[in-house]
Amino acid sequence: MAQRAVWLISHEPRTALCGTVRFSRRYPTVEKRARVFNGASYVSIPEDGPFLKALLFELRLLDDDKDFVESRDSCSRINKTSIYGLPIGGEELWPVVAFLKSGMIYACVPLVEQTLSPRPPLISISGISQGFELLFGIQDFLYSGQKNDTELSIKLSQLPDLLLQACPFGTILDANLQNALDNIHFASVTQPQKQPAWKAGTYKGKPQVSISITEKVKSMQYDKQDIADTWQVVGTVTCKCDLEGIMPNVTISLSLPTNGSPLQDVLVHPCVTSLDSAILTSSSIDAMDDSAFSGPYKFPFTPPLESFNLCYYTSQVPVPPILGFYQVKEEEIQLRITVNLKLHESVKNNFEFCEAHIPFYNSNFSSFCIQVKPNCQRPGELGPITHLEYKVSFGQLEVFREKSLLVWIIGQKFPKSMEISLSGTVTFGARSQEKQPFDPICIGGTAYLKLHFRILDYTLTGCYADQHSVQVFASGKPKISAHRKLISSDYYIWNSKAPAPVTYG
Amino acid sequence: MRGPCWNGPARLTMGPLSREAWAQRLAAFRASPSAFMADPEGEDLGRDLLSDLRNEKLSEQTKVSLLVLSLEYPVQLWPDAPAAEVAATSLLDTLVLLPPRLSALRRLLLLAATTALVAGGALGPTSGASCRLLPLLLGLASGSDLGPGFGPTSEQRSLQATACECLRELESCKPGLLGGALGLLRGLLGQAGPVQPFSLLLALALRNTLLVQSRAGAGLRGLLMAGISPTRGGPWDWTLVEEGDAHLQPQAPSWPAAEEGERGLEAREPSPEEARELRAAVAQLLDTTYLLTPVAQAQLLWLLGWALRGLQGQPPALFKPQLVRLLGTAQLTLLHAVLALKAAFGEALFTAQDEALLLRRLTLAAQHPALPLPTHLFYLHCLLSFPENWPLGLEGEEAAPLLLRPQLCHGLLPSLLHDRMALLARLHLLCLLCAEDEEEEEKGLVQSPRGSLEELMAGLQQRAALEGGPRALATLCFQASYLVACCLAGQPTVLTPLIHGLAQLYRARPVLAPHFVDLLDQVGPELGEPLRALLRQEVVSRPGRDEALCWHLQMLAKVADGSAQSATLSFLQAAAAHCTGWDLQQALLRVCRALLQVGGGDGLADLLQALARQLEDPDGRDHARLYYILLAHLAGPKLGVALAPSLTAPALASSLVAENQGFAAALMVQEAPAPIRLSVGSREIKGPLPVLQLQVEALEPIYSLELRFRVEGQIYAPLDAVHMPCLCPGRPAHPLLLPLQPRRPAPARLDVHALYTVPTGLTCHAHLPPLSVNFSDLFLPFPHPPEGTGPGFFEELWHSCLPEGAESRVWCPLGPQGLEPLVSHHLEPFVMVAQPPTSYCVAIRLPPNSRLLLRLEAAQGDGASVALRTDDWAVLPLAGDYLRGLSAAV
Repeated sequence: MAQRAVWLISHEPRTALCGTVRFSRRYPTVEKRARVFNGASYVSIPEDGPFLKALLFELRLLDDDKDFVESRDSCSRINKTSIYGLPIGGEELWPVVAFLKSGMIYACVPLVEQTLSPRPPLISISGISQGFELLFGIQDFLYSGQKNDTELSIKLSQLPDLLLQACPFGTILDANLQNALDNIHFASVTQPQKQPAWKAGTYKGKPQVSISITEKVKSMQYDKQDIADTWQVVGTVTCKCDLEGIMPNVTISLSLPTNGSPLQDVLVHPCVTSLDSAILTSSSIDAMDDSAFSGPYKFPFTPPLESFNLCYYTSQVPVPPILGFYQVKEEEIQLRITVNLKLHESVKNNFEFCEAHIPFYNSNFSSFCIQVKPNCQRPGELGPITHLEYKVSFGQLEVFREKSLLVWIIGQKFPKSMEISLSGTVTFGARSQEKQPFDPICIGGTAYLKLHFRILDYTLTGCYADQHSVQVFASGKPKISAHRKLISSDYYIWNSKAPAPVTYG
Repeated sequence: MRGPCWNGPARLTMGPLSREAWAQRLAAFRASPSAFMADPEGEDLGRDLLSDLRNEKLSEQTKVSLLVLSLEYPVQLWPDAPAAEVAATSLLDTLVLLPPRLSALRRLLLLAATTALVAGGALGPTSGASCRLLPLLLGLASGSDLGPGFGPTSEQRSLQATACECLRELESCKPGLLGGALGLLRGLLGQAGPVQPFSLLLALALRNTLLVQSRAGAGLRGLLMAGISPTRGGPWDWTLVEEGDAHLQPQAPSWPAAEEGERGLEAREPSPEEARELRAAVAQLLDTTYLLTPVAQAQLLWLLGWALRGLQGQPPALFKPQLVRLLGTAQLTLLHAVLALKAAFGEALFTAQDEALLLRRLTLAAQHPALPLPTHLFYLHCLLSFPENWPLGLEGEEAAPLLLRPQLCHGLLPSLLHDRMALLARLHLLCLLCAEDEEEEEKGLVQSPRGSLEELMAGLQQRAALEGGPRALATLCFQASYLVACCLAGQPTVLTPLIHGLAQLYRARPVLAPHFVDLLDQVGPELGEPLRALLRQEVVSRPGRDEALCWHLQMLAKVADGSAQSATLSFLQAAAAHCTGWDLQQALLRVCRALLQVGGGDGLADLLQALARQLEDPDGRDHARLYYILLAHLAGPKLGVALAPSLTAPALASSLVAENQGFAAALMVQEAPAPIRLSVGSREIKGPLPVLQLQVEALEPIYSLELRFRVEGQIYAPLDAVHMPCLCPGRPAHPLLLPLQPRRPAPARLDVHALYTVPTGLTCHAHLPPLSVNFSDLFLPFPHPPEGTGPGFFEELWHSCLPEGAESRVWCPLGPQGLEPLVSHHLEPFVMVAQPPTSYCVAIRLPPNSRLLLRLEAAQGDGASVALRTDDWAVLPLAGDYLRGLSAAV
């Protein structure tokens, strides 16, 4: 269950080492046990330098991938999890849990309490999930509310102290490092007996409960006979409960309007004390029960001090909020594009913003003729946009020539007809020396437009937290506030004239 | 290059170091501990650190950084048990000497002392520091008032938790250490104090005690109910530790190992009272789990689950109330702990419906958009290693659980939009579904698994074909192909489009040749053979003056074989004209080499001759000539061996070295131990010359054996070599006849060498033990005179020996049987006149042209007198020796 060592490494492409160890911590007492348990298969924890090098190579984060390197590129070296074996000094250090997120590599080596040859299955090693949880905890701590590099540096400098609290001997006590930080501050307070370990102290002040529901909608639209369009809503309910007392009990109910879409795949925060079996079994992965549970969804819980994600859910709404159509045609030396967007009548027509991004990549339309000079054409890869003629029925179009990107700014509202269109022709120059955007998906005619929008005080499922149904068992009547918003995420409309990648589910 | 090493000026004064000097020194150490410790300064670090902890001039902050260092690197600072003992003692002394105000050092000193003792291997009943630390920790944990030296009361709470952590770590490293404190810990959990540290400590101690006491025979009930007050003053009870010491037990054993452990556990049958007490303790722990952080809850469940597994009177239903709550969470550790309980108890805790629900939750979690990618990947792994109630497949092999129907997996199908690892993991699942799909076509799906697979592979190939795309895209395509080839080797309907797609990919991007070579090396013949043929066709159908010629040649060197050789050769001929650089020429020659290896052919000889003339580079010409000579002079199998990868060269040597060594090994004669045993058999007299009859016994299979003999002293004419086509151990071989042509009638030693081929094609040479040719081996009879004339002929011979010759008399002792058996056994073929049993005349011809005549007369008593004459003086001593030898043998 314990960890032998933890590292934080910043990934720095195009530098000599491609990375720097920003933080590392070893646990010698765990190492002592590893030596006994692993026996002849024991491999010691390397120093930071060799570890950095081996890890970056394994994660393919070294810049050099010009040549085929068997130890990295061989087809039989398949990694299907974020758990690696690192060749170090002729031996292999395994299992190394590692992942890259926002330019930072999080890594640890869990203790395996048996011999390593043959390798036991990962599922049987308790330290793996513990290691992941520790790394996620560090990640949350570093990036929650962090705005710039200075703040990151400050947080990094706090890490040694925090880990000394949260993981003094390599066995994690609390993956919530913010809580560990609070614990240091609350240390002098005498805590009563049944204080939960995940709550550093108690709140003193005006009672209030804040609930916010954020739904993200993603979609893949093809406008094709043989491929079904897909769309999905993913909701996150975030709570902040400022309540007095050690263990205040709160019950929040999420409700749906009569025509609302049922919530599925509900995952809850560990502080939720019980869960209705109808919520537990309502899932999108099998169409076993048609009589989907439509709420109210009750979540009784004892809140932690900090803001937390009470639950996540998905939902399958009957129609996508915006139905799109996108077509790109090659016409001699230019591309003719046509876009139609239609907002569904049931959707609140009041956006915080709404934009359609139309990118072109150098791998697009490789058979297409490019105008190098006036009257001189040759086939090749797309370069920057040189010329654009267009007509929009609504909003305005911005051109980012060097990025080969068109942005259609639709604004706050769709017109009364709920339908808008854009048509035009784009001419490109030859590919310049600088690195043009490359996309492994957009090859040939495969192209997309991506919608970015946000609607406040609205959810697509209709899901809302009824303020009157919030039950709080604590002293004082709390002020209850609820917020909702819908955000687009991965909302793609593919060129209907070319193949497009299909997703399932 | 040495790492940065510390050489601060403050060191020279030998006084305590300043804050800056320590900061500098610690930074240097952290940059590379091994380099720092290799420096002479490094030795003092541990000692300086301990002494400066008590230096009043040093700020608390600096002391904290010193202690933190000691928590990470105790082994470097205090490498052996005595040093660790001294360090721990010093740390404890420092702790006692701290002023009574609030201090960040107390907690760290406890952690540091614990770490030093464990890491240095000093923890034990004979260690003074251990015997001080343990009661101190237990006292702190139980909240006893230890006096003002242990800080203000406000610090007690934090120290209490820390003491629990230290005790837990000590118990982890020495199972059974807290066996005597179980009752106390239970009491503490019930009364006061932080819940989490006590829960975890009690769970661990309980589990360890369960394991250890079954061996020690200590009463569990007694331990659970033992005194409520900490064992202050009294000596620490180490008895259970000594039991546990030999077997450091996994706290959460990996599953297969637990299978073995289970047998040991099943023997445990606690008494009803013990079982009741244990159940109460476990229930007490489980009741308050919600107060623990999620990671700690998971630890508790792992510990208790595996502790109670197979224990009589401990129904796993105790865990049931926790499960629904746990199944609903998104927390990785908690769901993993549920899986551990599933593995530990199986059907006893999870009915078939529960199992289905768990599987559904896992499937859902493996694709839930709110969870991060590493979590998805781990859950996917869990799905394929799911601990089923009734597993069908082989243990340890990834497989889709029986209840995981393809409909459930719809959302887990791979798509080009997925990240590399997610794509491979999902592809693996898809392959497993396709493998099942072979038997039963699933209905009700938008697309069959096989259709999805085909589409995905086509997409991957298209992406890999992208000019200038990153290598990772190509690698991914080949990894996916490999995965499909491994999982679905027996399904031509899947493999055929894959193979054609790959061939097309090569056509689009020959620069991927190294990936193809690697793939062909890794996959089995189901994919490899047809792909090889298609790729060969793809290459040789090209004009040979491609930009990608070097890749084509690399590809061809891998795929060229005996078939379609004329097309291959004409491609090479066309290509030769464009092979201008050294590297291209070498690539071309590598193809020739590959062709040679599979037996060459007529056209190849012409090509090699042409290359030997035409290539610009002298090295290229030399190689071509060498290959031509090899082709012309070596038979097919031998050629194969000569060009095969060298057995002697290390794998990492450069190809040039490997090639040369390979040749050297194959074309040179190898020295070897004797493969046969040779001995001289019974004589057979035939023909005009003495002939040795040799018996051959093979010790290993050998071919084309050539035996060469050399006579020492040249007293015989040189001997011809003897050939045998093949020899096998256990199969009787015909005797070999070796005619001798003596130049003098004298015995000799034959030096024997064997030259032969072993089944691997190597030619070997062995020096055999020498063979002795005896004097009697040279004996030949005179032609038999006509009937009745024998005595006269003998007398004639007898008289003709003198005067040039010599005469002698020898007394031969005889055995009780007399003269007759001696003559019949040794001299029968040479007897000319016989008057058995008393008188014999023997005439022996000794090549080249000597004679030896014997008259043997049996005398009274037990001997015979032998008169001998010879026409050759030199024979006389040999004959004497021979006769004495005969009589000695009697």
